[in-house]
Amino acid sequence: MTANIVELKGVIKDYPLGKLSVRALHGVDLALVRGEFASIAGPSGSGKTTLLNLIGCVDVPTQGQVVMDGRSTGDLSDRALTELRLFNLGFIFQSFNLVPVLTVAQNVELPLLLQGKLSGAERHKLVAAMLERVGLGSYLKHRPTELSGGQRQRVAIARALVTRPKLVLADEPTANLDSVTGGSILQLMKELNTQDGTTFLFSTHDADVMKLASRVIRVHDGKIVDDGRARPSAPATAAAMHA
Amino acid sequence: MITLRIALNNLIASRRRTMFLGAALFLVTMFFVLLLAVTGGVLDNLVRAATTISSGHVNIGGYYKTTPSDSQTIVLEVSKLRQAAKDALPDAVRVVDRLRGWGKIISDQGTQQMGINGVDLTEDAELMRILALAPAKDYLENPPNPELVKGRIEDLSKPGSLVVFASTAKRLKVDVGDAVTLRTETLKGQSNTAEATVVAVVRDLGLLSSWASFVPKESVRELYQLKPDVSGVVQIWLKDIDRSEAAMGELRTYLDKQGYAQLEHDGQPFFIKLLQTVPNEDWTGAKLDVSTWEDEASFLVQIIAGLRAMSFALIALLAVVIVIGITNTMTIAVRERTREIGTLRAIGMQRGRILLLFLCEAALLGLLAAGAGGATGALVASLVDAAHIPLESVAVRAVLLSDALHLVPRAVDVVLAVVALTAISAVAALFPSMRAARITPVNAMQSAE
Repeated sequence: MTANIVELKGVIKDYPLGKLSVRALHGVDLALVRGEFASIAGPSGSGKTTLLNLIGCVDVPTQGQVVMDGRSTGDLSDRALTELRLFNLGFIFQSFNLVPVLTVAQNVELPLLLQGKLSGAERHKLVAAMLERVGLGSYLKHRPTELSGGQRQRVAIARALVTRPKLVLADEPTANLDSVTGGSILQLMKELNTQDGTTFLFSTHDADVMKLASRVIRVHDGKIVDDGRARPSAPATAAAMHA
Repeated sequence: MITLRIALNNLIASRRRTMFLGAALFLVTMFFVLLLAVTGGVLDNLVRAATTISSGHVNIGGYYKTTPSDSQTIVLEVSKLRQAAKDALPDAVRVVDRLRGWGKIISDQGTQQMGINGVDLTEDAELMRILALAPAKDYLENPPNPELVKGRIEDLSKPGSLVVFASTAKRLKVDVGDAVTLRTETLKGQSNTAEATVVAVVRDLGLLSSWASFVPKESVRELYQLKPDVSGVVQIWLKDIDRSEAAMGELRTYLDKQGYAQLEHDGQPFFIKLLQTVPNEDWTGAKLDVSTWEDEASFLVQIIAGLRAMSFALIALLAVVIVIGITNTMTIAVRERTREIGTLRAIGMQRGRILLLFLCEAALLGLLAAGAGGATGALVASLVDAAHIPLESVAVRAVLLSDALHLVPRAVDVVLAVVALTAISAVAALFPSMRAARITPVNAMQSAE
């Protein structure tokens, strides 16, 4: 097993815009090490989301390679990419993106059901334990609409982590939260990173949020201008060593 | 399971949309079941009327030709034939013979050409159970007591008696107790007449009532100067009417082995064969003709086929409206739920499962709404049938083959309606479901920048 969970090699991403083509990423090289708690920072339109989409295997590069867990995503079918996401990645969205018609427990159980590896009893046990960890042990039967923004994001974190993914991608996870709630969410993510060694990569505008990251990758005009390798965190280093 | 759960929860969450589409599906299914119940009622009336007035479940008719161009409907040695029917068909519950005559009934104020059935009430008791006395308003103009019923069907056992249907009594302007003249042509081409008294006027049993009347067997024998062991047709009723076709085949084979000459099977009623087919065949002597009740009522079966086709056409039209409604609503739902679909795709749901999710939602809506509509339709049909609502229009009576609204909600029709509407719902959702399946997980991330 390599220390890098994902590698981007000379990645270019173009988007069609009418008859024209807009280049969102200009030959990006990047490697994420197992156990990192990394942040992508940059202004709007800098290419943060494009980078997250490519690393999250929801999009493929126009040129170059994205290698996830040893496999180049550009060579994979839609079905294989979906499987890769299901078994390797966790997603946390800015707007939480919970399924509104499912309860908290059902939302967290969803990726486990899609994986189809565990029995009902095993799934329920895992879901209850995960929700307990994020402080929502007594909210199993609630609907997302009955929760505050911070609680919803905790559910999203539980959903992202319940399958024990290799990499969790968080897209501006605190953007829709007040500063106190946002801080507690980041603290929770940091704790999970420290305790489990789960790799986190999140995008943000917020300088305070960036301070918590062990590595800040700065993006500007589709290029990485600083990949912040100077500040490896303790858990990241430990996880990389034990990988 | 999760697919069904999400689909069901989405239906519950989108109450307004679900209620709107569900109500449409409910009403169309209920309407469909009611239409099919009407058709079922007509079929039931037809079976009842056909197997009362003109046919058993299976019949052994016969044609006798003295020259190649004439033909009469008689069977010889009828007692032997009745025994043959019992031997060939052990599941026969009743075997009787009737005489078939065709002639004029002449009253003081009218004449009517029609079938004159010679029956023996002592062995044809079922006839009495089916026939019901008609109220005076059904055949008299401005009767003093419109609901009054007169006469006795049992008196048909008396010599010189006649029972007619209300529509015939109306045309002939006769009442119970009136005398009429029966005029027929004998085998030798001579006109023969007999006097008869109307002993009962019975309720119409649809179109078949228009050309049927009943007299004692002896009256027909006298009119046609027939010997005692000669009759018109042997009628056989089986335990299960659905076995009619098979029983006909068995009876044909048996009669073949017994050496009886038979006509090739022809799914036409006997009078068409008598007037058109048999006179054009180049043979003389006697031949038997085994038929089913469906053959004898084939001209009426077309009414049922027509009613059924009309029901399906009407429902097809309504189904188009349903399809447009579901397609539009689901398309809007897919657009509204783009981020949710993107999220499901991002966390690992395959395209096929997204397709299934939306199809399930539509099919579930179809199943629940159509199921409720089907059950309600069956219930309403049963209640309407139990109410015995009289039909005032003669034309409607003729088409529905009854003087009261008779609906038969059959389980198979309810299942057919529910399955059809559920399938239509799913098919209507196919296009939006395919659009949903094409949504990429990138859509879930769109809010990032």
